[in-house]
Amino acid sequence: MVITLIKYLGILVIGGIIGYKDKLSPKLEGKLNTIQSACLLFLLFVMGITIGLNDEVISNIFSIGLKAGLISVFTVGFSILFVYLVRKFVLMGEKEIES
Amino acid sequence: MSLKIFFAVILGVGTGYFILPAEFSNNIGLIIDIGLMVLLFFVGIDIGKQKDILDKIKNLGFKVLLVPLAVILGSVVGSMVVGLFLNMKINEAGVIGAGLGWYSLSSTILLSNGYVELSALAFLSNVFREIIALIFIPVVAKYIGKLESVSTAGATAMDTALPVISNSTDPQTAIIAFITGVICSTAVPIIVPIILKIPL
Repeated sequence: MVITLIKYLGILVIGGIIGYKDKLSPKLEGKLNTIQSACLLFLLFVMGITIGLNDEVISNIFSIGLKAGLISVFTVGFSILFVYLVRKFVLMGEKEIES
Repeated sequence: MSLKIFFAVILGVGTGYFILPAEFSNNIGLIIDIGLMVLLFFVGIDIGKQKDILDKIKNLGFKVLLVPLAVILGSVVGSMVVGLFLNMKINEAGVIGAGLGWYSLSSTILLSNGYVELSALAFLSNVFREIIALIFIPVVAKYIGKLESVSTAGATAMDTALPVISNSTDPQTAIIAFITGVICSTAVPIIVPIILKIPL
């Protein structure tokens, strides 16, 4: 957990410094979004593979899937609601995080 | 983007289930790790290009911490509420939400405490949460709010969901997302055992 955190934070900071110092060629900079999207879709594809390879998950998807799905929908829904309330009533004066 | 994300995941599931041999899963952790590092590197560049961003975060101060707090509370309360309808014990339902999307950890903790079925449910539910988050972050960011889009991800806001958040919002929200993900991830191993012990 700690090593993972340091690794992620480290790579973010390195990228951050490069971005801050404008070390990128303009040509590459214009392609940042495309590169990100391509990497992202590849990563999601691979994550899908891990789910597909896991027989336990696949067989469980049909047995306890509905229950699990319901719980996750509520979990996400209430997370959105609570953060919405915080933004509306606590952070309302903060222009920086307007949506 | 949501649609592309959806199809990428489904295509992956199909490939894993129908085409690839089971041994492939030995290499997959490394592939994901490398992919994630490359992505986080580019997210970092995006954040770095916004030069006034650290000042903005400083201005927000401790209020930034309210986001992960709301995510944790919302997740636990949300799963407790639906647990009522599903005739589950309230603490056992709450524990699933307390996984905050970190499926490997929450299910492992439950398994080591002797909850086999609950562990499977927590695993699957938190896998679903991650998938729901990845697909709906762009939608929530557009129609509800940027901070709310962070909330869908929970613990995964610091890794797998971060690129999607960064892609659908702005660099400042990406930083808040990372902070939120770190705090949520730290909270999972603490709150899962605690909620499990609450006699409800």
